[in-house]
Amino acid sequence: MKKSILTLGLFLFALANTQAQKVEFEEYTLKNGLHVILHQDNTAPVVTVGVMYHVGAKDEVDGKTGMAHFYEHLLFTGTKNIDRGAWSKIVSSNGGSGNANTNWDRTYYYETFPSNNLKLGLWMESERLLHPIIDQKAVDTQNEVVKEEKRNRMDNAPYGKIIYGDVYNHIFDKHKYGRPMIGYIKDLDAAKLSEFQDFYKKWYMPNNAVLVVAGDLQKGETKQWIKDYFESIPARTAPKRVKIVEPERTTEKRVKEYDSNIQLPALLLAHKTPSMRDRDAKILDVISTILSNGKSSRLYKKMVDTKKEALQVFSFARALEDYSVYNIGAIPVGKTSLTTLQKSMDEEILKIQTELISDEDLQKVRNIFENSFVRSNSGVEGIANSLARNYMLVGDTNRINKELEIINSITKEEIRAVAKKYLDKNRRVVIEYLPESQKKK
Amino acid sequence: MKKHLYSIIAVFFISLTTIAQIDRTKQPKPGPAPTINLGTPNTFTLKNGLKVMVVENHKLPTVSATLLIDNPPKSYGDKVGISGFVGGMLGTGSTNISKEKFDKEVDYLGASISFGSTNANASSLAKYFPRVLELMADAAFNPVFKQAEFDKQMKQSLSGIKNSQKSVTAIARRVESALGYGKNHPSGEFTTEATLKNIKLQDIKDNYDTYFKPNNAYLVIIGDVNYKEIKKKVTTLFSNWEKGTIPTSKMPVVKNVEHTEINFIDMPNAVQSEISILNSIKLNLKDKDYFSVLLANYILGGGGTARLYKNLREDKGYTYGAYSRVGTSKFDTRFRATAAVRNMVTDSAVVEILKEINIIRFQSVTADELKTAKASYTGSFVRALERSSTIANYAVNIELLGLDKDFYKNYLKNLNAVTIKDVQNAAYKYFKGDKARIVITGKGIDVLKNLEKLNFKINYFDKNANPTTKPKMNMPIPVGMTATDVINSYFKAIGGLDKTNAVKTIITSSDAKVQGMAINLTTKMAAPNKISAVVSGMGQVFSKQAFNGTTGYSEQQGKRVEMTADQIAEAKLNSLFKDATYKSGKLDRIVSLDGQPAYVIISDKTAAYYDVKSGLKVKEVVTSKAGGKEVKNPVNFSDYKAVNGIKFPHKISMKMGPMSMEFIVKEIKLNEGVSDADFK
Repeated sequence: MKKSILTLGLFLFALANTQAQKVEFEEYTLKNGLHVILHQDNTAPVVTVGVMYHVGAKDEVDGKTGMAHFYEHLLFTGTKNIDRGAWSKIVSSNGGSGNANTNWDRTYYYETFPSNNLKLGLWMESERLLHPIIDQKAVDTQNEVVKEEKRNRMDNAPYGKIIYGDVYNHIFDKHKYGRPMIGYIKDLDAAKLSEFQDFYKKWYMPNNAVLVVAGDLQKGETKQWIKDYFESIPARTAPKRVKIVEPERTTEKRVKEYDSNIQLPALLLAHKTPSMRDRDAKILDVISTILSNGKSSRLYKKMVDTKKEALQVFSFARALEDYSVYNIGAIPVGKTSLTTLQKSMDEEILKIQTELISDEDLQKVRNIFENSFVRSNSGVEGIANSLARNYMLVGDTNRINKELEIINSITKEEIRAVAKKYLDKNRRVVIEYLPESQKKK
Repeated sequence: MKKHLYSIIAVFFISLTTIAQIDRTKQPKPGPAPTINLGTPNTFTLKNGLKVMVVENHKLPTVSATLLIDNPPKSYGDKVGISGFVGGMLGTGSTNISKEKFDKEVDYLGASISFGSTNANASSLAKYFPRVLELMADAAFNPVFKQAEFDKQMKQSLSGIKNSQKSVTAIARRVESALGYGKNHPSGEFTTEATLKNIKLQDIKDNYDTYFKPNNAYLVIIGDVNYKEIKKKVTTLFSNWEKGTIPTSKMPVVKNVEHTEINFIDMPNAVQSEISILNSIKLNLKDKDYFSVLLANYILGGGGTARLYKNLREDKGYTYGAYSRVGTSKFDTRFRATAAVRNMVTDSAVVEILKEINIIRFQSVTADELKTAKASYTGSFVRALERSSTIANYAVNIELLGLDKDFYKNYLKNLNAVTIKDVQNAAYKYFKGDKARIVITGKGIDVLKNLEKLNFKINYFDKNANPTTKPKMNMPIPVGMTATDVINSYFKAIGGLDKTNAVKTIITSSDAKVQGMAINLTTKMAAPNKISAVVSGMGQVFSKQAFNGTTGYSEQQGKRVEMTADQIAEAKLNSLFKDATYKSGKLDRIVSLDGQPAYVIISDKTAAYYDVKSGLKVKEVVTSKAGGKEVKNPVNFSDYKAVNGIKFPHKISMKMGPMSMEFIVKEIKLNEGVSDADFK
């Protein structure tokens, strides 16, 4: 099983749906504070059980980083009633598949089973929440695995620091989004077992989690099983969250990053953007689509097709709870300089900041979002994740059904104003991402 | 889809009645097995040979179309990369519409259309699909191959190739294929700067004209469509596509090596070794062995419950994931067991993977393992039903691979009929542990020394899969760098000469365990060269050594031996920070120590290792003579911590013959508590 530390697919589009494709759901809260969301769809004999915990890399204490992601590994060890090492086998031998992932805001665990094993999935997730095995042996093994994950995903991957967000440290001076999601290895090496256990006690509790069940279920029995397995799990004092305010940048910052796995550099314009809850974040998604999504997008057309100066133009937007990140990048073709790339990017950014987009562009954006929204709800696994995310991070489960409405209400004037505000040169960080060989010794 | 098209089959789940009472110590039993509906698409064939399959599914208002031309694989020789250009240039407009207008319309509709050299995909919202399919057909059948577009894509391809030269994974994959299939095989050849430069626009046109034909083509349409309407639309758009004669070529013979060997590709920037243990196989879905091989592979390395993952990740922590895969094809395909592991465990990982391959070849799997494997595939089969593409994929496979028409209806039955014996036979036949290539792409300087101990022949290859020589095992010393520079940076790293010069005495107390017994070593030193060392444990002194600047002795269990003249001469050379004397040594080489580069200075009988990055001393090897033989005694220094602003190693491990000892420093005192009496 691969434990992905983050899902790359989540840039650009938030998961959502059209009015016509309404995702029906029912939600309620157990006595111990565990929030429950049910989505019934009996068209295929498949069901997903997922639990999202409101803890991520940003909640870690300085000097003790990496714990949130480490837990994503640890909590597959076993529980009081599930033997060490048996977790994956139980899932597989019952026809299921499962995984987990972590980001800066939350940690999500899930399994998808043929629907006759829904009860099994609920039992397993309740076990994981109630009494997981957290001991030295588990910590020692997973410590090595996490280091390999880092080598595999970041240190050996071309453009790894861009893809996995290590470059966020240039965007955030104060906020913990500036720390690597996977943490610092030296912190993990130094962490004591008791500190791991304390982390669990602080964050893993029913009143800091949401349980979502989506797919081929019958509501009556499902609710009964949820009550049986989850309601007796005691609530604890909810963790205190520290909200860190990141000051606005007032002058452009330029930095260099080096990567030993590449030969072509990249230029990255990195921006701190508002929380995923904000309307402005949606407007930035629209701007991103106009600039770099598809062959007719402005940056692609200009830099790849017309001027033939870029091999690739891309954007990496990550929607997060406190702030989001929007990075626009390009890789030069041939001997094109990064200065040339920046000039082209700046021209297009200036254009969207000063001119209103056309009716046609606006309609195009709406069509693109409608298509992607409809497709994003084609499987119960995706719907489960989306429901949990909207509840926990956006603060409104039903946002899943309002996304398109919001997109369709965005005006040309708003697009111009938001581009002007957030893509302002003085608010950004320009990152020259260079091959290691160009590092001055 | 119409009801009569469904066939209903039962899933092979053990079903038991639900127990009413909740007992969380008991794992819940599955409910009654769900029945599954395995539909079949509506199909029709156009006169030109194009087979069309339509799966109506109205759950979401979207449609997708896939065009697939099943030509036999072809080698491109010194022009590898042609197919990429054909795919890249299809969809850049048509004779009826400019590229700009085409791109604009596709994006406007929120659709996506993409091409390969023998395939095309389109998807969109149902309301725009008829137009999207028109655009796809137009681009496919009325292509424009413009020189300017070709030149642009050539420039991009050359840049892209250049960029992959440092990607360990990209190089590993292509060399593995080239070695496994042979460089002249369609599956083994790869694009390089040289092959790209041989390609002309005319090659692209010729390739399209010859191979983009409906003879062996399938069009699959899935989603919110009406069969009658779409049939009409497809007939209009695709009927004029003309048949051709597709040339066939003989596939080169693929051979496995006679004896297992290592194929090594040096990538100095690698932080992990890409290991791939592979052999070629022939395996089609219709083969009798298919399900047995599938299950054998699942048990060996099919995922998170498999042996490779359990061993290399969950038990040893060597890797983020270790897996094995079996390909299926009408032609040659491969078995591969793979892992990306940190440099220092490369040899151990190879040993473990081979061990697992051999175990599954020569020993029966357990009934429990087989049961889990079957359940897992059964589950995947059921879960796949959620996707409307599944029944289309099944129908296409039946056609492409020449499967029995009931292959998928009987899938679970045949899967569940596999026995333990079948699994072992399959493993023995398809996983060739004794005739395998162990392809390792990694950092030679870190990993080769240990790989050489494995007793396999090692053949070296470059990034283009050409034979080459063993990479140099030392890193070059930067021009002008001397032993003095290394020692100066060492003193700077530990705190600076102003600090070390102010030290007149040092007391170090460290603990170790020898054969289970806790001992303490306390050394006292005073400038310039006085030293004493006392080893004690369980309340008694085991030994003492002292040197007062002119004479010295050692004492063990009350027996005192005076130092010889030679020993005295040597002891006189002692100093509080003796590294200063290594300035007169020779900066010999740069080696890799646990994956980190280190300078090596040879000074008299001592080889001292200094970490290139930190400047700190990490190792010292003193060569001495014992019984006429040269003996090397390595000492490793780590866990540097500052004492009064000077960094001292707090962990010192040494090897003396077969014995290894680790001293943990408990206390260091500078300029206090030492008197001349300590050296008497």
